[in-house]
Amino acid sequence: MKILIAVGSKEYSGPTLQVGIKVAKAFNASTTIVDVGEKVSEFSTKVVGLTQERMESWDFDRPGVDVLEWAFKYLAENNFIEPQQIEAGFPKTTLVEKDGRRAEVYLKGTVCDDVNLILRNGDIIAELRDEVQTEFYDVMIIGGSGKRRMVHDMIQYIDSSIFVVKNYDPSQEYQILIAVDDSPGTRKAIKYGVRVAQAFGIGVNLLTVSKQDHFGEGYKGAADRAAKFMHRSGIEAKNVFKVGDPAKTIVDTAGDNHIIIMGASTRSPIKKFFKGSKPLDVMENCRCPILIVK
Amino acid sequence: MLGFSHRSLTNFLFWVTQKKWFLVTMMVGLILLFLPTPVGLTLEGYRTIIIVITALMMIITEPIPLPAIAMYILVAEVYFGIGTANEIASSFMNDAVFFIMGSLMLAVAIIKQGWDTRIALGIIKLTGNKTANIVFGFTAISAILSSFIGEHTVAALMLPIAMTLIRFTSDDVSKVSNLSAVLLFSIAYGCLIGSIGTPSGGGRNVIMITYFRDADLSISYLDWMMKVYPLVLIQIPIVAWILQKSFVPEYVHLDSSVRKLVIQVAKSRKMTGRNTVAAVIILFVFLGWVFFSESIGLGTIALTGVLSYMVAGFVRWEDLNRNTHWGVIILFGATISLGFNIKATGAAIWLANQVLNLFGNIMETFPFMSDAIVVLMTTTLANVLSSSATVAVLGPVTLNMGSDALHTGLVTAIASAFGYFTAVAAPACTIVYSSGMIKAKDFLKVGWKVGLMSMILLVIYANTYWLFIN
Repeated sequence: MKILIAVGSKEYSGPTLQVGIKVAKAFNASTTIVDVGEKVSEFSTKVVGLTQERMESWDFDRPGVDVLEWAFKYLAENNFIEPQQIEAGFPKTTLVEKDGRRAEVYLKGTVCDDVNLILRNGDIIAELRDEVQTEFYDVMIIGGSGKRRMVHDMIQYIDSSIFVVKNYDPSQEYQILIAVDDSPGTRKAIKYGVRVAQAFGIGVNLLTVSKQDHFGEGYKGAADRAAKFMHRSGIEAKNVFKVGDPAKTIVDTAGDNHIIIMGASTRSPIKKFFKGSKPLDVMENCRCPILIVK
Repeated sequence: MLGFSHRSLTNFLFWVTQKKWFLVTMMVGLILLFLPTPVGLTLEGYRTIIIVITALMMIITEPIPLPAIAMYILVAEVYFGIGTANEIASSFMNDAVFFIMGSLMLAVAIIKQGWDTRIALGIIKLTGNKTANIVFGFTAISAILSSFIGEHTVAALMLPIAMTLIRFTSDDVSKVSNLSAVLLFSIAYGCLIGSIGTPSGGGRNVIMITYFRDADLSISYLDWMMKVYPLVLIQIPIVAWILQKSFVPEYVHLDSSVRKLVIQVAKSRKMTGRNTVAAVIILFVFLGWVFFSESIGLGTIALTGVLSYMVAGFVRWEDLNRNTHWGVIILFGATISLGFNIKATGAAIWLANQVLNLFGNIMETFPFMSDAIVVLMTTTLANVLSSSATVAVLGPVTLNMGSDALHTGLVTAIASAFGYFTAVAAPACTIVYSSGMIKAKDFLKVGWKVGLMSMILLVIYANTYWLFIN
């Protein structure tokens, strides 16, 4: 299992890193933390690079290194990296640059072997997509964004599962809400749900929503199988059946004290592009963290 | 769908999303291509205007790499029958492109010499520790240096000095946000107001000189300085004043940070014989520009300087190659080729006539309005695309807009430096913005004041001082 945690700044990315490390521990996952810096106009890329070289000779770090240093401190405080590395401090001198737009530091982890810190520059969706495609991550963890276009592009174009740490409050007591139906995505969502529930030590609500006022065999069977799987895994779970618009019902039921887990849409990419999808609607409107499993 | 897998459809949609501005541009180009040719314009002229519009849209939105935009311009000129392949190729390379190439490489060579520590000491000796004087000093030094060696070089040298002063004042950036803004903007705007001072201050000035020569006009290095340099000197105190009013610094004196800066600089290496020789080469380049640029060209002299640095072993080819943006050079070559064809196909005169038809009456009643319109057009374009590209495509048009082409051309070249409004308008702005200490909206917050001042001042200056010295 490989996890990519996308952070943006020390001020706003604390919860993302906190949740990301918790999930990484639960999955014993090889973990990478990436900061994507702002895209520089192509007219000035070379001269900005040259200026940064001069800045380094005056003992200034290039933008983004401070974010990685902050992430390193967080990893150190949580004993996620080996003691020798914590003692040696953040190894900024080993920040290896590739292609002028990606630089990385390799660390030795305690929970997993590899912990990497990466700096990228450019369009955020293009950079994250490239990172996920070249390094084959299973889950990407990222903070919430208010921009509809960004949320849409993330779900549409990034190949991995996506955990959006939206409105996460460490003092809040969360439960997991898994959206259950008879689609293939639900089976994957259930498996992820078990691991996340174990990581956070919390119970699970299995929500099945029907647009009509009766539930077909497919839905009932999926809900039963999900509940049995949860019980076999030692997770406290209960089935909830509701009637209404699926996306709205999931958002209302989740409120601000659940972590929503649902499968990705199986609609064709063209339909998703023009009409959107249920996960997109939920992700846009929910007030809590959400994991879309692909 | 049609046998395509979900993955290939997703890849296609992602390509569409990333290249949407390229697709929009091509659509606009196609629509224009099928519209009838405007009255009074040749078919070649109309097609040149279509290439200009589509190329500018792509330069602004950057949906494809800059060298790809250059290639688009060059191949479109041939495919549209604007010139033969050989004609387009020969219009692509000239002294202005040599100059842009040479100045970008000289920037690498100069920055690698580490003269920023010397400059830091120089500024502090001149200004002392009073913040107001330091801001004035940063603006003045940036302006004066950039008038000779180009804004990007100076901004790259000055940024670490300003950042060191800020860091020594406080580690908490929120406590020095105004000080950061005032110092960093004094570098960026100082570089911009200085870059108009001499022909070697920026590629755009050399492009305009190339157009002057093409129109059988002539202006020497010293003539340019005599006409324009006073405007640089007038703007320095005004810009420093506007900046301090817009961002009132948190500290009136920077005693301890100046002391720490001096100590840090003193620890760095002393001036060596190698540094002296490197400085002498730059001095010779400057003298070459002043005395020989009319006969052998500014670009040839800049390249001679680069050659001297390489022969002396002061800069490695690997460093020049790695840090010079060849794509930008190719793009400027292509836009200059486009500029020549705007003139050759009659599109320049047609466009100029459209502006004159629109504003002719006002321009006749108030002669200064002609300059005001040129300034407004140039400043607007310079803030959304590169200043050199602005002069390359707008120059041939504005040269036809007034009775005195030299006057209008100089006004265009000067106004193209007014890229105060956005962080991406000029390399100097992008460089200070890359420090992460100022926000994108700060450029608009202070840029409109400096921009308005520069525009009004230029119109008054061109219609008083130039009349006086003529």
